[in-house]
Amino acid sequence: MLFAIVPLIVDGLANAALIFFVAVGLTLVFSVLRILNVAHGSFYSIGAYVAASIGLWIISSGLNPWLSFPALLIAAALVAALMGPLIERTLVHWTYGKGEAVQILVTFGLFLILEDLQRIVFGVRSIYADTPMALLGVSEIGGIIYLNYQLLLIGLAVLTLIGLRLFIRHTRQGKLISAVVEDREVSEAMGINTRRIFMMAFTLGVFLAALGGALATPTSGVAPGLGAETMVLAFAVAAIAGLGQVEGAAVAAVIVGVARVLAIYYVPALDAVAPYLVMLVVLLIWPYGLFGTTQSRRI
Amino acid sequence: MLEMRKVTVSIAGVRVLREVSLTLRPGVCTVLIGRNGAGKTTTLRAIMGLVPLVSGEILLEGDALHERPGHARAGLGLGYAPEDRRLIPGFSIEENLLLPALALNLTAAERKRRLDDVYGLLPQLAEMRKRPGGATSGGQGKMVALGRALMVGRKAVLLDEPFQGLAPALALDYARTLAALRREREGLALLITESSPHLLDAIADETLSIERGAIEAEDAAPGAATPGH
Ligand SMILES: Nc1ncnc2c1ncn2[C@@H]1O[C@H](COP(=O)(O)OP(=O)(O)OP(=O)(O)O)[C@@H](O)[C@H]1O
Ligand SMILES: [Mg+2]
Repeated sequence: MLFAIVPLIVDGLANAALIFFVAVGLTLVFSVLRILNVAHGSFYSIGAYVAASIGLWIISSGLNPWLSFPALLIAAALVAALMGPLIERTLVHWTYGKGEAVQILVTFGLFLILEDLQRIVFGVRSIYADTPMALLGVSEIGGIIYLNYQLLLIGLAVLTLIGLRLFIRHTRQGKLISAVVEDREVSEAMGINTRRIFMMAFTLGVFLAALGGALATPTSGVAPGLGAETMVLAFAVAAIAGLGQVEGAAVAAVIVGVARVLAIYYVPALDAVAPYLVMLVVLLIWPYGLFGTTQSRRI
Repeated sequence: MLEMRKVTVSIAGVRVLREVSLTLRPGVCTVLIGRNGAGKTTTLRAIMGLVPLVSGEILLEGDALHERPGHARAGLGLGYAPEDRRLIPGFSIEENLLLPALALNLTAAERKRRLDDVYGLLPQLAEMRKRPGGATSGGQGKMVALGRALMVGRKAVLLDEPFQGLAPALALDYARTLAALRREREGLALLITESSPHLLDAIADETLSIERGAIEAEDAAPGAATPGH
């Protein structure tokens, strides 16, 4: 019985790793720009589409299949570099300081635009590009078989968490971001180009979401609707953690990821709603999330 | 050196400054007196580029300061200590002091030189440099905010009601620090706001008073005549 649950936990953690990338991006953007970007999930699906397309292209043109791994990272970087600054400068920047209703309407409009764009560019059929998963194979530990790619995902998420924390706490840009999160006006007066920080934080958020999507492609197909589905999951994770919490997002992602996999296995009927049930319970007990407070803006 | 010319500012549709003109000169301490809501903070925020101007201009050594983004001020040598300290609570006191230096990307040597300079003026800050910015009393916080403004304020330093809420002993301390500052940085222009008249008479070279967004009387001390009137 105990053995049966270990692969499930690994499955749940791999799932959590992917959700973590999107949720931490969402939370970062919220802390710095103070907007809840409803279109954030779309960057995950765009990252997935771009990664899958590059992956399929690598195979079809007979290149070394191991190039599929750097291709995942390149896909995310490409999406972030092309879309992050552009969207922040043209659309999102216009909502700063406006009411939440305006922000949600504008980013929801952005979500609809991005969904249609994906249909136009990538079509409506599912795309499968699982070369990295196949290349890494499986390993057997104590009679249990693991997908190596899943272990890689978990490792990457942990590295990203540590990397983000070090970046925020110990680098120049990271410290400037923290200052802007606390007090935009004082930051500006102290010489920080807060517009640039906003653009950078937004682009970093796009990158994290796109990276989650890119890393997800080897484990599942990419199909329309992925963006919306991911957005809701990322929001559930960010809400459970308390918006603005980096480490909290990791913990909440683990809770949601594991709850989802356990539900699939034990109570299949609850599969889709498990994350929201968890969110509901958490928010009933801790209205600002597990780690959030009313004031909390720190990242 | 720094000149506001007929500056008008509206916030949320309300006219908060009406054709405010004032001039800061090197080595001159200007005190701006006004009741609550008179427009003192808005005057300083306008200089710092934190509120858009409806009309008028702000010149720094003849250049149009109001056309530049707010964050350019620090690099141009303007330091600002806002009314309610506004330190970064998660940063240590030293990190708070270093924030403008970090923003300007100063070299490590220059950063250290300026930090030592500030610690020389405010030795009490050196003693508590490791303490989190969020764990300072109101008075200590004001000292940190002053130090932070001095890190970049080579030409002018704007202090918004620095004495408000200070215990008498601390206020005396603060005034002594300002006097030392003026001795040490002779060419520095100071603009200090205050709500009660005459409190800063000992420090002021020039006193202006602002009421309902307009600067009314100008009472210039000898040798600091205001041009343009
Ligand atoms: N964010 C804002 N929204 C609306 N009105 C504002 C805002 N900031 C300032 N005001 C108005 O502008 C006027 C001037 O405000 P300001 O803060 O400059 O005054 P002050 O002289 O600094 O007052 P205090 O002594 O209370 O600090 C006030 O009447 C205030 O109500
Ligand atoms: Mg004020």
